[in-house]
Amino acid sequence: MIRRLIEGSLILFSWAAGLLLTLAFLTLVGFLLQKGGTSLGVNLIFGDTAPLDALLLRQQVFDGLFPAIIGTLLLIAGSMLIAIPLGIAAGIYMAEYCRGRVKTFFSLLFDILAGVPSIIVGLAGLSLTIFLHRSFSAQISTSLLISCLSLALLVLPYLIRTTQTALESIDPLIRMTAPALGASRLQNIIRVLLPNSISEIGSGIILATGRCAEDTAVIMLTGAVASAGLPRSIFSQYEALPFYIYYISSQYSGPDELRRGFGAAILLILLCAGLLLTALWMQRRLKTILLYR
Amino acid sequence: MKNRFHLFSLICATLVLLLSSSSGALASDLAPFTGQQGSLRIAGGTAHISVMKEAAKQIIQSNPKIQISIAGGGSGLGIKQAGEGLIDIGNSGRKATDEEISKYDLKLFKWAIDGVGVVVHPENSVKGLSSVQLQDIYVGKISNWQELGGADRQINLYTRDEASGTREVFWKKGLNKGDISAKANVVVSNGAMKTAVAGDPFAIGYISVGHMDQSVTPLALDGVLPNLDTVRSGEYRVSRGLYSLSKGEPSGLAKLFLDFILSPSGQQIVAENGFIPVR
Amino acid sequence: MDRPHSFTEYIFLTAAVCSGLLTAAVFLFLLIFSLPLLQNGELTDLLLSSWAPDKGMYGIYPMLMASLTLACLSLVISFPLSLGCSFVISALAPARLRRFLLSMVRLMTGIPTVVYSFAALFLLVPFMRNILGHGSGMSILTAAPVLALLIAPTMIIFFVGSFEKVPLSATLAVDALGGNPIQKLLYVMIPQAWPGIINGVLLGFGRAMGDTMISLMLAGNSVSAFNSLSQSARSLTAHIALVMAFDFDSMEFKSIFVCGLLLYIFTAILMLLLRMSTLCLSGKR
Repeated sequence: MIRRLIEGSLILFSWAAGLLLTLAFLTLVGFLLQKGGTSLGVNLIFGDTAPLDALLLRQQVFDGLFPAIIGTLLLIAGSMLIAIPLGIAAGIYMAEYCRGRVKTFFSLLFDILAGVPSIIVGLAGLSLTIFLHRSFSAQISTSLLISCLSLALLVLPYLIRTTQTALESIDPLIRMTAPALGASRLQNIIRVLLPNSISEIGSGIILATGRCAEDTAVIMLTGAVASAGLPRSIFSQYEALPFYIYYISSQYSGPDELRRGFGAAILLILLCAGLLLTALWMQRRLKTILLYR
Repeated sequence: MKNRFHLFSLICATLVLLLSSSSGALASDLAPFTGQQGSLRIAGGTAHISVMKEAAKQIIQSNPKIQISIAGGGSGLGIKQAGEGLIDIGNSGRKATDEEISKYDLKLFKWAIDGVGVVVHPENSVKGLSSVQLQDIYVGKISNWQELGGADRQINLYTRDEASGTREVFWKKGLNKGDISAKANVVVSNGAMKTAVAGDPFAIGYISVGHMDQSVTPLALDGVLPNLDTVRSGEYRVSRGLYSLSKGEPSGLAKLFLDFILSPSGQQIVAENGFIPVR
Repeated sequence: MDRPHSFTEYIFLTAAVCSGLLTAAVFLFLLIFSLPLLQNGELTDLLLSSWAPDKGMYGIYPMLMASLTLACLSLVISFPLSLGCSFVISALAPARLRRFLLSMVRLMTGIPTVVYSFAALFLLVPFMRNILGHGSGMSILTAAPVLALLIAPTMIIFFVGSFEKVPLSATLAVDALGGNPIQKLLYVMIPQAWPGIINGVLLGFGRAMGDTMISLMLAGNSVSAFNSLSQSARSLTAHIALVMAFDFDSMEFKSIFVCGLLLYIFTAILMLLLRMSTLCLSGKR
């Protein structure tokens, strides 16, 4: 009897928990959409500049999100450019060559790196800047490049881990075939193993991209500013969507800026959700597309 | 009907002309920027940002080859980063100390005068305080609005972070260097302070006079309301200069930018943002 | 390990070593910058005193307490919710609802924390101010539920994953005996899956300690030691974000590296625990 009661209340509680979580999530997102929905439009992105002029870089955009969007895209591109080759190469090493104690040691290191709070990574980027500034050139200061390096460090462990697990989970049958036919180890990796795990690695890359797009703590210490226009080079400071949202939340001067803040929040959600859905889709579909075309 | 339409468009045209002439800069003030290019980094005091942004906008619109980045961070950061050479121009809402000036070889440019006023939510019935009351509030001795003639609710203290020049001036001149309770909520900019107070019916905070608008109500301090007139006349004593500073004599774009802020166009931007121009 | 025997292997090795070195470099940077403070034997002072730079005190005790309290409180809120939610997903819901819930949870992992805090700033903060009747509405109690929402998907995914790993033979046996889903969950799946549950909780705790934006934007950032949950407080991460504005030579600036060091060591210990729990539990099986 008591058992029945416990089981019954557990069922009830579980459903309530699920409902509460769903409701909390939907309330927050719905609130954002309701507040910021009206602000979405060309004006939100380009302010009072003509879109074509802005896109062709003929005129700088003020009072619009264009520089922040471009800043975020550049951040993503830069950090992935650094992190992808390093991460995948290290992942291959971990899965294919590394054995024994060394492997345990390395994976512990990467686990720690994956768990380090992003503000610490930002702090490391900042101290790197100070170090370079003091010992090499007074010209060096926080910039797009420093942010990209720090963000790359932030997502590196994800890339290593996804590559490693993807390679390790390949069917031994597939793994053995090419060497049995006389292929070298490298040929096996490049021709057989990597193509077979491309969907997992791909979705890992996209998830890492999402991390780069959303992280605020790293960039606020390493070069994101309130207003900068488009960055001229990798050594200039820049605007970025997540930092813009943080900045607006504390400094907005009126309803107009606040609406832009909500607009930026919606854009960032769309960007991150889009990346996430692509990653999930890839995990499910890409394999079939690539292998059975 | 047609006549009325004409009249309407005439008014509109006049308005547009007025508005555009008031926000547009004189061509002569922007002339030094022609042919220039490169980038300029500005950071520091948050009270300065609105003026800096508008000045940057006008400069860049006249010459898109110039890039200007503007960050907040507080006066402390402005002084230190300019001194370290991490930025070209640092903004500060307080005068840099002699030690800082000699250590970093700083050059100061004062381009506006600003007051720091105590603000509360518009629905608050308290309209004024004495300086002793203000000190007691911030040290935590007076903790209920009732003691000041308001509602029976706890006073929610707001203060700024330690890098803030606004805090420095308020602490020195408003609180006579009295303690600020560690229980006060800390916000990181003038805008954030205004937002926080405007959204909290039982708040008390302090912001730059230039940032005041109808969303918050300034309190009279010892019978003097903080506003442009009383600050200009010196009657309201919690006031300060807004400074920009550079490491050594400014050169290149930094010099041009500082010249522009002190030019008639720049000073007009200063006035439009609610500060008192120095020229 | 056998000797590397090809040029390409050297390349892969270099990449791995580089990545490993970077992890160590982060630690070294933190250590070097906080060394001046540690050498003077001021560590206990730092850890146990409060923050009052005007008076030359750079203690981080209040922030440490705030971080721990926030993380624990959000875990207390989030753990039962996540467990319940993972029950629904793994045992109770019909297939279609299950798929919907799972995709929603996955989607939640992708929502930026800055967006969560931005929405909560305009939704939850005024609400909390009304409920509490005093204070600014920014408090530990305001930040904790949002943190709970942040770490819930991490835990749910871990829980559901470990339920799925329960051997099919065991669950089928329950079905054959005529047990209902909740009995299957209670008497077969949970006893089998609890290592996964522990790991999920550890990871969730780590995320809650490490998050910056939520506590920075919602907890109020006051530097005093709090004595009730409805008061405003400043976490270690928010402290780093707020103080970085200072002079590089100052004690303030050096002390934030001590905060950083603490968080780093905390993460390392957490990961070791995780590793150990996984190892000894898989060894037992």
